[in-house]
Amino acid sequence: MAVAVLKSSVAVGDVLPEIARQFRLEDFKRKDEQTIHTDMAAAQREGLAAPVAIGPQVASLIFRQLREAFGPGWLEGGTCSITFRRPVLVTDFCVARGKVTGTSSEAKGVRVACDVWIENQRGEKVIVGSASGILPQT
Amino acid sequence: MIEGASKTRVEVDAQGKRATYDEVVVGTVLGEMDWVVTEDMVELQCRLDLDYDEFYSLNSPWGARIAPPQITYRPPRWLLSRTYNVRGLFYKWQMENVRPIRIDEQLHVICRITDKYVKNDREYIVYSAEATDTKGEVVFRTERVHVLDVLERTAPRAGEGIDTGIKAERI
Repeated sequence: MAVAVLKSSVAVGDVLPEIARQFRLEDFKRKDEQTIHTDMAAAQREGLAAPVAIGPQVASLIFRQLREAFGPGWLEGGTCSITFRRPVLVTDFCVARGKVTGTSSEAKGVRVACDVWIENQRGEKVIVGSASGILPQT
Repeated sequence: MIEGASKTRVEVDAQGKRATYDEVVVGTVLGEMDWVVTEDMVELQCRLDLDYDEFYSLNSPWGARIAPPQITYRPPRWLLSRTYNVRGLFYKWQMENVRPIRIDEQLHVICRITDKYVKNDREYIVYSAEATDTKGEVVFRTERVHVLDVLERTAPRAGEGIDTGIKAERI
């Protein structure tokens, strides 16, 4: 179950669990739709070089990371703000990473602020942002 | 220059004319919808994201199975497409999980255009949504930024798109 990996004694600079995924074209197919996520011609009509991954599906690596980091404190009270900096190709390898940037006390516990990002196989940050979750006071 | 890629912005697709930056009006209510998250929707979301947890599949401290928070992506995007035929790309995503969504509970989602701007010769629109439960209490809030086209706004609008921004409203 969603049990927080982080504890309220967490410190600035502590790292969040890493979540990796090798994407494949099949991950983005929905029935027989021709979309910019599955079809070369559809992507190139929009000015793209090739089909690109569905943004929320890539971003979900960060959400899995935050669930592991904060458990229930991500699901209730969690926040996230991310920017899709560059397209992810449908066959890219991606890994979500993060680190703690600060903590503050709240009525429900300790709110932990983090930088979060996703890197591709070339080490490029394709999604960047910040997030927070709540850990119980110990 | 990307080999093979179009140098013109899409003007029309199977759903008709693409919405232009000038046609997007800040303050426009994109609509409201009632939304019930079903077991099937949660299972599909978990499968798409490879995001599995006992809370999503069995039970949770909130008295029922709950949905992964990212399932909230879709209703605001559906509401955007009900008003404007927009393909483009997702650029920014803010989310606040006020509390989890329980399977089979009814939510009410309202969405509106809150801003638009031009940056780096591209056109962006901002839309926000809020979902409430049957007691009127907020369940989630979100703000999105969407770039209308991959290409710069100085590229002529002339081409015909294959992928339309208007899709079936499903997970």
